[in-house]
This record gives sequence, structure tokens and C-alpha cells, in this order.
Amino acid sequence: VSSPKPNAACRDCARRSWLLARLSPTLDYRCSDAPRLTQVLSLDNERLIEALAGGRRNTLKSEYRAFAAADSGPGAGTSDICRHDPGYPDALRDAGAPPLLNVRGDTARLLELLERPAVAVVGARRASDYGLEVARGLGQGLAASGVTVIGTLREGISNAVHVGALEAGGAVIPVVGDGFDVACRGRHRSLFERVSVNGCVVSELPCDGAGRRWGPTAAARIVVRLASLTVVVEADDSARELASSHIARTLGRTVAAVPGRVSSRASRGTNAMLMDGSPLVRDAEDVLELLPARPAATRPPARVGHTQLEPRLAEVLERVGEGRDSPDGLAAVDEDPGGLLLALSELELMGLLTRGDGGRYLAKADEGIRTLDLRHGNKDGTGRDNELALVYWL
Amino acid sequence: VLARAHTFTIEGLQTRHVTVEVDVRAGLPAFTIVGLADAAVREARDRVRTAILNSGFEFPGRRITANLAPADVPKAGPGLDLALACAVLAASDQLPGERLRTHALFGELALGGELRPCDGTLAVALAAYERGMKALVVAPERAAEARLVEGLEVACAVRLSEAVRVLRGGRADGPRGRPSLESPEHERARPLPDLAEVQGQHHAVRALVIAAAGGHNCLLSGPPGTGKTMLAHRLPSILPQLNRDEALEVTRLRSVLGGSPCELAAARPFRAPHHSTTTAGLLGGAQGGCVGEAVLAHNGVLFLDELSEFARSTLDALRQPLEEGRIAIARARHSAVYPARFMLVAATNPCPCGYAGYAERCGCTEAELARHRRRLSGPLIDRIDLLLPLTRAAPRVASEGSLTSSAHAGELVLLARERQAQRLDGEGVLVNAHMDASMLARYVPLDARCEAMLRQARDRGLLSTRGQHRALRVARTIADLSGSDRVRARDLGTALALRPEATLAASRAA
Repeated sequence: VSSPKPNAACRDCARRSWLLARLSPTLDYRCSDAPRLTQVLSLDNERLIEALAGGRRNTLKSEYRAFAAADSGPGAGTSDICRHDPGYPDALRDAGAPPLLNVRGDTARLLELLERPAVAVVGARRASDYGLEVARGLGQGLAASGVTVIGTLREGISNAVHVGALEAGGAVIPVVGDGFDVACRGRHRSLFERVSVNGCVVSELPCDGAGRRWGPTAAARIVVRLASLTVVVEADDSARELASSHIARTLGRTVAAVPGRVSSRASRGTNAMLMDGSPLVRDAEDVLELLPARPAATRPPARVGHTQLEPRLAEVLERVGEGRDSPDGLAAVDEDPGGLLLALSELELMGLLTRGDGGRYLAKADEGIRTLDLRHGNKDGTGRDNELALVYWL
Repeated sequence: VLARAHTFTIEGLQTRHVTVEVDVRAGLPAFTIVGLADAAVREARDRVRTAILNSGFEFPGRRITANLAPADVPKAGPGLDLALACAVLAASDQLPGERLRTHALFGELALGGELRPCDGTLAVALAAYERGMKALVVAPERAAEARLVEGLEVACAVRLSEAVRVLRGGRADGPRGRPSLESPEHERARPLPDLAEVQGQHHAVRALVIAAAGGHNCLLSGPPGTGKTMLAHRLPSILPQLNRDEALEVTRLRSVLGGSPCELAAARPFRAPHHSTTTAGLLGGAQGGCVGEAVLAHNGVLFLDELSEFARSTLDALRQPLEEGRIAIARARHSAVYPARFMLVAATNPCPCGYAGYAERCGCTEAELARHRRRLSGPLIDRIDLLLPLTRAAPRVASEGSLTSSAHAGELVLLARERQAQRLDGEGVLVNAHMDASMLARYVPLDARCEAMLRQARDRGLLSTRGQHRALRVARTIADLSGSDRVRARDLGTALALRPEATLAASRAA
């Protein structure tokens, strides 16, 4: 049945996609947790109807039999590929994986991206500034090393990863839990458009299908399968946020985690994963170490040579790295405030610092933190003139 | 016989000159008033007749026609009573008409013939002076207010008969008799809150002084309880006092709105409308001189606490006053232009709950955060020059005490403002905040290092062209505060660090 053309999914697989969209509301309230959802989604079509359709069973069955692929072909700019195609990713050939993928972009491009080492980066929707910055840095570092970054397309960590990867000019594969027309609505639109220029957006639902609440979890099972390694950046200890790592463990994949503050709710899940023996990840470099085959970097990470940072700037950068985030917190006793703000601005202009909500300062994950590590301690003890200190202020 | 008297009516905030023409001739006894008079003016007929009779004059029992010229301007309020009565007396030969040409009359009449004070006496006095009238006759309660206008003779009359005596060439009474009920001394005596009461928050205090020095609009951002409101309320104490022109404008506004100022306002107005205020409440309506908080803040400070709670449309409506310093309102039947050049001070939490970025404390959902950022971004933040970052003080900082007192900061602000006024002499603006792009090019000389910083900021996408202009204005003010003619790197660095877009979390802009 194989045919390498795009839009060549066989009728049976296209019918599966259509069926999921029809059953979407039922999936939402019958399968609230990840284990049950993955179990139900591994049923074949007939049994899925039996299990979920309830009173509508017979109607749905007759509709199902009358289904013609033309009824819900992929929309404009979209192609699809099914498991009967020899090029279909091997990772998606087990029973729990979807038989068909709708791709915004070109299927050939998708397969080409999947030939490279692929890493999934997932995490909380409601992330802290720290988590977002780490995720962005990971995306940037991985993309620059020639790794394909896979993730979902939601607020928080997922979006930050894609933004980082796009900054490095890399290609990403976001898997969305809705049909494309639904997923690109509202505030996701701009990012959706940016990622689909170079990368491929993937969904198992037809274009107009709504994934509701089960969609993201279903998307997570694709994300984890497509990647050879999953990194969780920030997740609290709820089952919803740990769904990806649960699925990955069930499949026997490696799940790594980024540590967070012990006191932070957003890092409870990841810290617990580390406790259970997951590998610890600090930056893209650590992720590359964990990959079975280290990719030959297509280009070195874009990094400015700041190893020779002026001592006064290095000192301020170090204080930001310690977690002091406001000018008041950063100021040393009797420091000239103009000098401090100048140093902060200079570091921001160099791209070593960024600003969080309320204008708080954060060290940029990739460059700012690395610069500190590379710096050789040569603080000079310039004694500040204390009598002049007050003159500085006003 | 025809007689004329001069008076003024107040339309919105503007004063219009009115000539009262009265004609008395044979016919059936009648008293008709024409010329777009409102209810209060039409009722003047009865007040004027009774007052004339009760003052010992004779009310002509003939046909009286009064015209209020120009006939197409609506006239409002009871302030025309005195002019009407005197014109009637002059038309019936009980009063010589010469002085009616040089003396403007303004006041309401009581049935017994006493003169009652009217709102807007100062505005009328100013208009009378501008029109070249020699004197103004008013009730004694408002004489002090009218005397604020230099070069205008003010005669106060307790009753109609006294006004007639003045018009016959008699001497005006001094400001004797009923003292004014409200003594504005109370207002002056209450001291303004002092900056010395602010513990810690040195960077925010410094930024507040910068904002005051350059007249920059600013945004206070910080978690709840860090003193945003406290700091904003201390801003008037470091602003320089109003100059004479500004003071006259402010006092005139108060006079029209029903205050009874005895002397020129010295302190700048400080208005803090609640966030439930409507667009009309903030800007005003066109009808009947209904003015909003933005107009009351003219020449002073408009403080918007909890900025993100204001309705988006209300905030967007502030664009015009922020750009042009005035508000033009057009409605179906009325239109009005109000002065509104104020310094905008806004305060906001970094997120609805106030603990954004601290994942362990912040309980806001992503949608709430996005909504909050949307509220802040957009046209308003584009017109704010300066961010005042407030932080939950660390214990070390909390014990630091206050940075400065209002008196000291006020002196620095005054010096900086003098430098600006000197530099901007002849440009039509007084403070750096109002410099336009061409003035920036002339008055903000940059050295190579500053140029490089600006280039870098643009390349990184941190600064738009408008953002660059704002940073340069702020940098100019910081240099002025330190008495420097050149703008140095540290001035520009501070301005960049305090740019208000920084509060919108670059890290979350996905």
C-alpha cells in the first residue's frame, strides 16, 4: 500500500484521525490521567468505539464505515504520513503510537529532521523566570549543536525552548495536541508561524479537531517517542506535569531533569526525579553528553568572547548569578548607583543579562552563566571612596 | 432708552465676554430676556426686579427688553444678575452710564439686594483684564480672589446700592464685612509627607528624584507592600513650586470649579483617581464644564495606582493629554478643550498577585499574566520614560534608613530644573521630558561610548526609536541632576537600566 507521495495516508489511518476528533469530548472526561489515556489510545478503531462511544455506538460505527478519506483530507499547506509508509518513523510503530501524523510543512523535511539526534524538552506551563531562561538556553544550545529540538507548543517551558532554538537558527518539531487550525489561534499564532517556517509542526488530529485537555498528554506520548532523550526543565509534583516523564519511563527512555530550588514548587517534580536517579542536566553540554551518539556540531554555539570581562562587570554578573535580582539587592554597601546601573545595562547590552517580570535581572542561561565559569578570578580590590558615596547617589 | 453693561459668562472652563443691553420704552409692562439664556439667567428677571425694589430704587413699569450679546453663545449661571440690574437702572436714568463702560460686573443678587459670590471670579477677573476693563465689581467674599490679577481694580460691593454708588463715581469699600468662610490656610498648613520617611528603596527614591527633576512620566513597579503608593505620595514634596503663570492657571481652574482661593496655589496638584474611574471621569465631559481628574492634575501629578486594573479604553484615552498637554472633547452638542499637562505617575504589581517570577509565591495562571502584560503594554507604556523598581527589601537594606529628605531632594530638583530652563530657553518647553527629537539632537551631546551603547541596544532589539528618545531624555536629566553639561556613559546606562519596557519580562516574550 506504500506510496511515498505526500498526502498519501491510507484510508484506514485517516479514519483513525477522524475518529479521535469525533471522540474528543469523551476522551476528555473518560481519560483524565496519562496511564489510562495511553491505554485507550492503543486500542484499535473498532474497539475504541466500543470502549468510548456509549449510546452513540451504532451511529458512529455506521459513519465510520461510510468514511471516505476525502471527507477529512489534510488542509492547505499540510501533508500526512501513515505507518504503512516505509519512511514512517520507527519509533512510532508500536501499538501505543499514533498510526498517522499530520504535518504542517513537508513530510520529507520531518523525516530529514528526525534523522538527526533529537531531544525532547518539556516542562511546566506556569514556569518561573529561572525555568524559562534555562529552557531558552537549552533550546539555543541544542539547536546550535545540530540537535533537533522536539516539544509541545504551550505556554511556559515548551514555548521558551522553541524560542531559544529559533534564536540559534535551528529547526524544531513541535507536536501539538490540537488540529492545526485550533492550535494556531490566539496568542500562539506568532510562534506557530515562526516554527513552521523552518521546522515541522505535527499533530495526530485533523486540522479542525480540538484536543481539549487530553490532547497535550497525547502529544506528549509522540514527543517522547520521537526523541532519543527527554529533558524535564521544571515540573511540579502533579501527575499532569509529570505525564511526559511517566510515559518516557514506561517506554524505557532516558529522562533527564534540570534541578531547581528546593523551596520552589515549580521544581518539586524535577527534584524528585533527580532523587530517583534521573540524570542531572545543567545546560546543553550535559544533554549532548547523554546522547548515544554525540552530534558533530554543525556550527559552534554563538558565543561572544567574554572571558576577558572587566572585573567590575564580572563582579556584578556574579552577584546576579547568585540570585540577587534587583538594583537594591545587587548594590554593595556604598556603591555608586550610577556605576551599578551602568554595569547592569552594559551586561544586558552584551546579552549576558536579561529582564524578568517587574524588570528583575536574570543571568542568561547559556552565555551569562557560562561566562562566569570561564572567568578566572582576578578581582581587583579597588577601594571605594566612602565619603564620595553619598555624592554618587543624588 | 438703551443702556449697556459688561459681564462674563463661563462656558466649560472658558470665559466669554457678554454685553448686557437693556432697552426701556413705553409699552405694556414686561421684562423679556433674549440671547440663549439658561434657566438660571431667565430666573434673573424676578431676582433683579425684587432686588432693585428692595434696594430703594424704582423698577420701571414699562416694556423692558434685555439682550445678552453675542446672542449665539449660551449663557449660564446667576453671575449676570448684577449687570442686568445695573443696566436696567441705567436705562431708566437712575444711574449714569459712563462707568458701565469701564467697569465689569459679576455677581448674583439676593432678593434683599445683597450681592452673592459666584464661582469663577478669578477667571472673570482675568478675562476682564485681558479685555481691557478698568475695574471689576464683585461680592466681598471673592474680592481677594479677583485681586490676584495684577493691574485690575477690584471694587467689592456688599449690596446693589453700594455697586450703584461705585458706578456713580463713589469710592469702593475695602474688603470689609463678611469674611470668607473657608480659610485656605488649612490647606497650606498641612505639611506634605516627606521622603525621609521612606526606608530603604534607594534606587527607587533616586529614580523618583530623576523623574521629578525632568518632569518624566514614571512607572512604579514592585510587589505589594513595598511602598509604591507611599513613594508616589511623596512626589509633590520634591517638585518645585508653581511659577506665577502656572499658579494662575491652577488657581483659575479651582475658582471655576467652585473653590474660593484667596491666594495663588503654590503646591502642585496631586490627583489620585480610583481605578474604577471611567473615561469621562478621567478626562471630563463636554457639557457644562464637567472636567475630569486629568484636568484637575494640570501642572501637577496624576497618580494612577494599580494601573493594570484601569479599563483599557480609559488608559488609551490618556494618549492625547500625554502628547499634547490638552484634552479636546467633542460631543453632539458641545465641544470643549481643557488644559491637561501633567506628570503621569503609575503604579503596578508585576503580576495580578504581585509575586511574578517567584514560582513558589505567584499564584497567577499564564492567562492572567498574559492579560496583565497586555494591559501594561501598548500606547501608555510608550509614553512613560522611567521605571522605578521597588523590591521587597532584604534585611540588610531595610536597616539602611532613608536616602534623603524632601528638602534636600527638592533643592536638587530645583537646581536641575533651572539648568533645563536655561538650556531650553526659547524652545517653548521647560523640562527635558517635553523635548522633541530635534531638541534631543541639539541638547544631548553623546560621546563615542554612549553612541556605541545605543547602537548595541538597537542591535539587540532592546530599544525602539521612541525608546531611544526616552532614554536620551532621561539621561539628559540625570546629567542635569549631577550638574554635568555632557551626557556620560553612566547617565545613559542608568537611563537604559530604568527603561520601563524592562518590566514586561523579555524572558516571557515568546
